[in-house]
Amino acid sequence: MWTRLLRPARDEDGVSDSVLTLTAIILLLRPLDVWWLAPFVLAAACLSLAVRAVRHTPLTWILVSLLVAAGIVFVWPLSDNHIYLLAYWCLAIGLALSGSTPAATLSAGSRWLLGAAFAMAVLWKAVLSPDYIDGRFFRVTLLTDERFADASLVFGGLSRDQMEENRAFLEPLPEGAELLSPPAFVEPPRLRAFAAVATWGGLILEALIALTCLIPANGRLQLARHASLLVFCVTTYALAPVAGFGWLLATMGLAHCRPDQTSWRAGYVAVFILILLYSEIPWTAVLADWAGR
Amino acid sequence: MLPVALLVVVAAAQVTLARTARLSPWKGGGFGMFSTTDDAGRRYVRMFVSAAERSEELAMAPSLEDAARRAVVLPTDAVLSRLARRVVERERRYRRPVETVRIETWRIDYAPDTLAATSRLIRDYVYRVDAAPAPRP
Repeated sequence: MWTRLLRPARDEDGVSDSVLTLTAIILLLRPLDVWWLAPFVLAAACLSLAVRAVRHTPLTWILVSLLVAAGIVFVWPLSDNHIYLLAYWCLAIGLALSGSTPAATLSAGSRWLLGAAFAMAVLWKAVLSPDYIDGRFFRVTLLTDERFADASLVFGGLSRDQMEENRAFLEPLPEGAELLSPPAFVEPPRLRAFAAVATWGGLILEALIALTCLIPANGRLQLARHASLLVFCVTTYALAPVAGFGWLLATMGLAHCRPDQTSWRAGYVAVFILILLYSEIPWTAVLADWAGR
Repeated sequence: MLPVALLVVVAAAQVTLARTARLSPWKGGGFGMFSTTDDAGRRYVRMFVSAAERSEELAMAPSLEDAARRAVVLPTDAVLSRLARRVVERERRYRRPVETVRIETWRIDYAPDTLAATSRLIRDYVYRVDAAPAPRP
């Protein structure tokens, strides 16, 4: 058992090197925020990138998974959801590498993890949350979340003054209180449409990914699975400020590709880099300045 | 299948905690982020201390921020009691009397059509200092 965890996986039927490399890069790009865990995860990621044997050894990924899980427990309940997914993913890699068919095991594991994560996301949005389907979440978030502000100016047709007034309007008053002259609330049709597209577009794409991943079939369904995941990553992470989640999804999608699916594989690597560019280039702010918003 | 089983178990626990203990849907591993306005940024705590001849609301001190962040996301007795103990420790460091700590957890609601915002109390917790261990000299 222990020798199996310490022995690098064989090359034939092995997990694609790019999947392991990208996972190590994710660990480096977004270090854990627990100081006494982060150095060990970073060291493991560096060693994985530098030494092929470390990268292909199951124990490396199982240890990383345990360190990430320890971080989740230590800061409970503050961790973001993609940190949980990262822990599951590293564990899936470690277990797959210790088996007899690593690539096939990891491919199936990534599909189930994607399916389960997106099914939960759909459950929360469509069933459990009272303020998603009616559009409230994005109508409020596009105005109050600074990370979406530039996109709201560009795509919603708001001016900066209107944005400020809307934010003042969305400040809560104590129960029963009323202002003598309440701030105006301006919601142009374009902003309302933007919120509706974000609400329904996100939900439909997530439901599509959940369905195509949870139905165990290949052929056209597999193509739909890859296409919907790629479209989701390209559109969502252009605005959503959680690049770590996007990188993880792209890497898991890559792990689900067969070796002969070179186009899909290239697509996932390209999306990984695109999300990196999204996170580092304030493109909505540049557009807002350019448009004089 | 172990990672998938873990995901499902943690997610089921998260839904249960969100339903029974007011865990913010954004946290806890249930993938409820970007699904509701009930996130940590739209929740806040107010802390009040009282003792003989003293009753006042406290401003959020940096030493309380971490415990307060956790209390905002998951306002259970255990998490709120931890924050209250931090408050008591801090008050005693400054030699200020404290007999009870009351912590209110609030969230912001938005009306469905108008988006009018109101604050709503979701938890009111009282910690009595008698129950706390004596401070170290």
